[in-house]
Amino acid sequence: MATVPRILLADCDAMFVAVARMEDPEGAGRSPLLVVGGSATSRGVVCSASYEVRAFGVRSGMAIATAARLCPDAMFVPVPRQSCGQKGRELAETLALWAPVVEAASIDEFYLDLTGTEMVYRGESLADTSLRIRQAAHRATGLTVSIGGGTNRLVAKLAAERAKPRPGTDGTGVLVVPPGEEGEFLATHRLADIPGVGPRLQATLGRYGLEWVNDALRVEQRDFEAWLGPRTGSWLHERIRGRAGSSVEPDAEPKSMSREETFARDIPDAETIEAELLRLTTRLGAELRANRLAARCVTIKLRDVDFKTRQASRTVAEPIDTDRAIYSVGRELYRSLRSRRNVPARLIGIGLSRFEPLLSAAQLSFLADAGPAAALETPRDRAVSKAVDRINQRFGQDAVQPARVTGRPSRRQP
Amino acid sequence: MKFTITREKLHEGLGAVAASIPSKTTLPVLSNILVEATKDGLRLSGTDLDIAVSTIIPAQVDQEGATTLPARKLSEIVRELPSAAIRVTGSGEQRVQIECGRSKFKLLGLSRDEFPAFPAVKFDGAWRVQAKELQKLIAHVAFAASTEESRPILNGVLWELRPDRMRMVATNGHRLARMDVPVKGTGGQADLIVPPKALEQIRKLFGPDEEIEIARSDNHLGFRSAGTQIFTRLIEGPYPNCDQVIPRENDKIMTTDKAAFTAALRRMSIVASDQTHRIRLAFANGACKLSVTTPDLGEAQEEMTVAYEGDPLEIGFNAAYLIEILKYAPTDEVRMSFKGPERAMTCEPVGWDDPASYLTLVMPLRLLD
Repeated sequence: MATVPRILLADCDAMFVAVARMEDPEGAGRSPLLVVGGSATSRGVVCSASYEVRAFGVRSGMAIATAARLCPDAMFVPVPRQSCGQKGRELAETLALWAPVVEAASIDEFYLDLTGTEMVYRGESLADTSLRIRQAAHRATGLTVSIGGGTNRLVAKLAAERAKPRPGTDGTGVLVVPPGEEGEFLATHRLADIPGVGPRLQATLGRYGLEWVNDALRVEQRDFEAWLGPRTGSWLHERIRGRAGSSVEPDAEPKSMSREETFARDIPDAETIEAELLRLTTRLGAELRANRLAARCVTIKLRDVDFKTRQASRTVAEPIDTDRAIYSVGRELYRSLRSRRNVPARLIGIGLSRFEPLLSAAQLSFLADAGPAAALETPRDRAVSKAVDRINQRFGQDAVQPARVTGRPSRRQP
Repeated sequence: MKFTITREKLHEGLGAVAASIPSKTTLPVLSNILVEATKDGLRLSGTDLDIAVSTIIPAQVDQEGATTLPARKLSEIVRELPSAAIRVTGSGEQRVQIECGRSKFKLLGLSRDEFPAFPAVKFDGAWRVQAKELQKLIAHVAFAASTEESRPILNGVLWELRPDRMRMVATNGHRLARMDVPVKGTGGQADLIVPPKALEQIRKLFGPDEEIEIARSDNHLGFRSAGTQIFTRLIEGPYPNCDQVIPRENDKIMTTDKAAFTAALRRMSIVASDQTHRIRLAFANGACKLSVTTPDLGEAQEEMTVAYEGDPLEIGFNAAYLIEILKYAPTDEVRMSFKGPERAMTCEPVGWDDPASYLTLVMPLRLLD
């Protein structure tokens, strides 16, 4: 008999809000109307909002200024990044005690694969196991998680969403869809609820009068393929029947890393923006090296005063991992973006991708000896980065910084 | 347009032009070959806009004319035809009839006016070089050019042309090949960075005993002999100064048989990492110990007798680079010189009775343990 996949998604309920409340029990802890993302006058975006604030129409990703207009009585606090990272790790450790394979989908979402564990749990139902996992996670971290389950990732994801104990819903924190009932469960959803059905696809489907999965079930696969193209068409035909992949990959290597900063006011001068870019680069470089990786692609993101967001990327021949090399590529990209449109900036960001393990980066290049123009990274750069990392590990994150960055406090709002 | 040609000659001509025809293009006429029947014979030309190749082959031309024909289809037809005379007749500007024995084809082409003009390179006062000298340089150096797109200058081969000598250098930063050939009176002095794809055509299409005329315009280089012309775009920018990276203080010298060393390296490579091809060489007391340890896969060791002078040395390499430079070494025996585990190794032929001088260089892999 084929083994039935048992996939769970454990999704932390308003994690950023919960952690902000734990950090400041007397302030944020007492405020039902809480927005995490920055102060009410900051120019960033909402990271998370309490269910009470969401009732006012506030959503993640919305500009803080808009959120403040919709819910003026809310309390606005910055993102407790360090504590959230810590809580995320604690949660992952707890979940790993229950499932042989755990995959972090984000800081507050984890897929668990319990396939083949029926005997371990002595025939206990997946719903009962989920309930015990939920209690254990709360005991260990103080966080509330909602758990959805089913035979694949899609069903688990939608079930977790429906399991959330939001005010006005009958969510109990756990919902497991039994094998064979996936199609029936999917039929009660909007097409927009299916991950991957974004605004453009929704608009296309809307033109054919399709809003609910139930309506779409009557559409033949060949019609979907004709309307949406063969790939998207057959993909959607499978998804609305609750068919999707069930593979949960443990601890996938990161594919990219990035840091960005929204300025408190629009910055017109390149010098200040480049100094901020350098500050972001030193943080990102330390993270890269801590993961024992080197990167081949550097991306710069620039958001102009009128919210127009522009990006530029460059792939370099040799993987790089030192701040000077990353910054020199990043600064060149920034300057080329700026030369095309020279307006004040709201946001600057830098990202790294196309990683290679540091081990394979140990092929020596003689171009380092053929002058700085030929090599991006020299043995001296590597020695400097290594020394700075060691000092910062011992004395704190910013114990040693480039002179250009010191004395220039972060422009993030308190 | 009307001409008769042997199947072998046409096949040979199409083969010469084929490499300059792009396999994918947004400009349909580039998939075609320009066919010109002239009083001197049949001229076939192709281009991908970076490289252009044109060659003339003997044919009995009854009526001059020109058109462009789909290169792939034309080559496939000619390949399948019997070894006999082929008669080609134009009917209208874009249609030709091909007859051979009892086979008959009609092929649609595009107007010759759509075919891009070749780069305007003037051959007045051209440099002159013996094809075999140029081909020797290309055959030993071009392999070392980089294939990474991120540093375009290294995608080219540096060709230094001097009145009394020529030099080619190519590198990807990890390994380098350099050759000097003394020549008599090239008539010129220039530093050119040439795409290896163009050099490969020069190696293939000119006869070794031909004299090649070479001339440049602003950003193109032209090569021509009596029957063949090749044009290529030049890569612009300063080439890294490679002279200063050639070590002069390497004091540890190993001399070995090329075939035996290559065979040992190949055996070790089987167990080396697919990513890094890392192997370790340890030299001491007339022996070279080769070893490889790859986590999750296994390990291997081998020892061979070599002539070695100097202090003991342990050094890591990408085995693929070593096997590659040995492949291009022109003699049965090679001499490798070292300084330290993180310094460049050089490799030179031993007993080469050629006036040329040849050197390859490989940077080590850092040994992390």
